[in-house]
Amino acid sequence: MTVHHLHHSARRTAAIAAVLLCAVFVAPIHAGAAGRVSGTGIGSESVTSGMWLATVSPTGMTFTTTTDQTATVANTGTIALSGISYKVIVSTPPSGSPTFKLYTCAVAWASNKCSGGAGTQVGSTLSKGSTTTVGSTVAIAVGADEYLQVEPTGVTSSVTVTLGTSINPATQLRSPIPTNH
Amino acid sequence: MSEHRHTRTKAGRHGKAAVAGLFAMSVGLLTTAGVYAALSGVATGSEAVTSGTLNLTLSPDVGSGFSNFVGVMAPGDTDNVYVNLNNTGSLATAAGMTLWVAGTPANALTNGTAPGEGLSVTATQCSVAWTLAGVCGGTTTPILATTQISTMNTAGTAVSLSNIPSLAASTGKVAHVQVSLGLVATETSTNGVAPTPTIQGLSTTLAYTFTEQQRVGTATNQ
Repeated sequence: MTVHHLHHSARRTAAIAAVLLCAVFVAPIHAGAAGRVSGTGIGSESVTSGMWLATVSPTGMTFTTTTDQTATVANTGTIALSGISYKVIVSTPPSGSPTFKLYTCAVAWASNKCSGGAGTQVGSTLSKGSTTTVGSTVAIAVGADEYLQVEPTGVTSSVTVTLGTSINPATQLRSPIPTNH
Repeated sequence: MSEHRHTRTKAGRHGKAAVAGLFAMSVGLLTTAGVYAALSGVATGSEAVTSGTLNLTLSPDVGSGFSNFVGVMAPGDTDNVYVNLNNTGSLATAAGMTLWVAGTPANALTNGTAPGEGLSVTATQCSVAWTLAGVCGGTTTPILATTQISTMNTAGTAVSLSNIPSLAASTGKVAHVQVSLGLVATETSTNGVAPTPTIQGLSTTLAYTFTEQQRVGTATNQ
């Protein structure tokens, strides 16, 4: 029993000695490597990203005659737009071969006229059963509208035109603005 | 009775022996102490030491320095801030410096959840003060190429700035740094709706953390 106790004691002493030796020889190396002082400078600024969104209303038009119809496009985002792409889907009517032209105007159409003129055609003539994406380059401020007019020809039976919008940030946003402060 | 006397006598003998032993031990200890007292000596040396400091200060170069970006940022916009980085401590720095930028809250502008999109940072040093119009009348040195914040948004992913020399103590001005914030976007919005995930319509507060290290420790023999 006594011998056993002595063995324990000796082992404990040896372990403590080993730990102390490690501390003595390792601590200076560690202190030299990780103890270097660093200096930090911090600056802060807040930023909010904009949104590039546009809606068209109505999105669908049904033609049974060759009467022009209009739609309103709104910039519902927070960044001015330099253009909008329109996806135009023309259905296939039961009969006839109607065609359509899309015009844009910066002000509301009045008696089928854009400030007394014809407005600006967007894309080329659209035929039945087609899906086409055309681009307008009319700039629209935030909260402002652009006005479309769809002008049909050769309508002999019911045909629908569906409109959608898309905005590519690479080409259809206002020019980049550098800010210095 | 006789037995009792014998016991007493025995105890008395033991007491005398103990006293004698203690006396001998005392003499021995005194002798030993005398020997040590005769051999000890004390020498005292004195040395004064002052620890150094390393202070990196960030101050406006021209304009207001880091402050809030007014308005909304569009892709392609740049938000330029002009700051001076100085080592005003008493220790020189090692060459180099790191920068990381944290966004609070973390969102698609800073955490990469919209792949390929988000805020980016570019840093350029000018040998003289910048003008508020963003013109450097001296020599420009790029210290950070355009980098997405999502790749440097933690201390562990801090990026090393290029061409940062060792800064002398107290007067170690890094010179004049233009920090340029940009927004990268590739997402198309359709029918008035932003895609998911999106970087549109998000706000965050950016904390730019520049860190310098002290010069390598030196050994002095005197």
